[in-house]
Amino acid sequence: MLTSLHDAVELVRPGDMIALGGTTLYRRPLAFVRELLRQGTGDLTLLELTAGLESDLLVGAGRVRRIRTCYFGLEAFGLAPMFTRLASQGAFEIMEETEGSLAFGLRAAEAGIGFMPARAWLGTDMFKVRPDVKMVQDPYTGELLPAFPAIRPDVAVIHVPVADGEGNAALYINKAYDRELGLVADRVILTAEKIVDSPKELGSEIDILGRRVAALVHAPGGARPTSCYPHYALDSLAIMDYIEACNRGEFDHYLARFLEQR
Amino acid sequence: MTSAATDYTVDELMAVCISRLVQDSECVAQGIATPMVMAGFFLAKMTHAPNLLFASAIGMALTTHWSPLAISAVERGLQDHILIAPSFAQLVCEILPTLQFKEFLRPAQIDAQGNTNNVAIGNYHHPRVRLPGSGGIPDVTSFSANTYLYNPRHGRASFVEKLDFISGVGVGPEEERRRLGIVSPGPRALLTDLGVFDFEGGRMRLLSYHPGTTIERIQARTGFPIAIASDVHETPPPSEEEVRLLREVIDPLGVRKLETLGGADRWALLREIAQKELGTDAGHG
Repeated sequence: MLTSLHDAVELVRPGDMIALGGTTLYRRPLAFVRELLRQGTGDLTLLELTAGLESDLLVGAGRVRRIRTCYFGLEAFGLAPMFTRLASQGAFEIMEETEGSLAFGLRAAEAGIGFMPARAWLGTDMFKVRPDVKMVQDPYTGELLPAFPAIRPDVAVIHVPVADGEGNAALYINKAYDRELGLVADRVILTAEKIVDSPKELGSEIDILGRRVAALVHAPGGARPTSCYPHYALDSLAIMDYIEACNRGEFDHYLARFLEQR
Repeated sequence: MTSAATDYTVDELMAVCISRLVQDSECVAQGIATPMVMAGFFLAKMTHAPNLLFASAIGMALTTHWSPLAISAVERGLQDHILIAPSFAQLVCEILPTLQFKEFLRPAQIDAQGNTNNVAIGNYHHPRVRLPGSGGIPDVTSFSANTYLYNPRHGRASFVEKLDFISGVGVGPEEERRRLGIVSPGPRALLTDLGVFDFEGGRMRLLSYHPGTTIERIQARTGFPIAIASDVHETPPPSEEEVRLLREVIDPLGVRKLETLGGADRWALLREIAQKELGTDAGHG
């Protein structure tokens, strides 16, 4: 179970649907993404509740074929520069998602069924860009509702504040869809800020069950410059440095420096 | 309440308007990067609504606690005050449809019926500007009785005759909504830096104009004809105490101002806030 970042990244294959845990600028698996970029794995489908810096790096480096998320940006810091620029050029496919389509899709996968219905998207243009989402009739009331298809990622990569040696992990806050990803992804990879001896030392109940974890990596600082509560806060100035570098047309230079770190 | 303030800024007036739209004991939710809304909610808690339940987008937790507005220190502010930190799937599938949090959505485009767009400007497949995405707006506008809209920079770029993409549903004929299965009544109200509006009668309608502007100016900065309420009036200004609470207690860093600024001014304020937060106990280590 306990392995190196290098070996954990080898579990990702070109063409995989890879789910990145955490949300926007919180608890993102930056150390893992750095090693993923180094190994050159491409043709990826990203699946995320919200995509931030880690995904902008992957998109900017040309490793992403398709994006499934409901928000791709840098919150208070503004638009994600490479995503925004390359989206206008059609450099990747965007599979438009919402909080609901992702949540119900993951719950369908958890239940082992093909879809979950929900009162969502009604009257919007979402169906025009997601023709794969069909309507289903409620057999009791006759009502028509969208049937959100099950989502089964090939890999989920989740940075956790604390795990035990068996891969049981606690998230504390900003749980995003990580609990669900930890249950439904084919290969679950955890990078952990801290590894403790027993589940009693997690400091909270377990959010990720070790039984489905394929690889556990000890990666202190592995979410920087995003936050990993309660260990460290979001590094706002580092996010601003990234945006400024991109605005100067220096993404490649930034990426080279990013890959040199640790 | 203390006397009316004469020294206040538009972000403060908007936060006060949000506060006035909140009643005690309500459940209120904050979206991504909407500090002005948080300022309004906290102001309501400190004045007339002490028993609010907050859903914080950053942290993804429910709490009755407030802490001063921040960027990197938001998570730290929640420490020891979390009622529940659900999986976001639990929040979306279970808690939002049942508790129906009052939420202020900030769309990039709004039309006369309160339909909204947060997905793309221009052709969807070759967008002039690809926006971050719709978040949960296509979901909540299907079911929620408590959605509101706001726009801190009212202009013809945002208020358009025809949306490039509908990612949030506004108001419309009852029969069609029933046919589509929409149980939400549509946005309850809309707040901008120029005035307060609703969608009664099926069209954006001016309820009050902010001090210093006029009905004519608001119409000129809106890309379609608006309706005017028969009792249209000037928005009452904040009280001195409300302005003091916003400046000194709720948001000494001025995070709320990020929503009304643009370009270099906004970037400079962001840098200033980031540097100030470094000097505090924001958990950097």
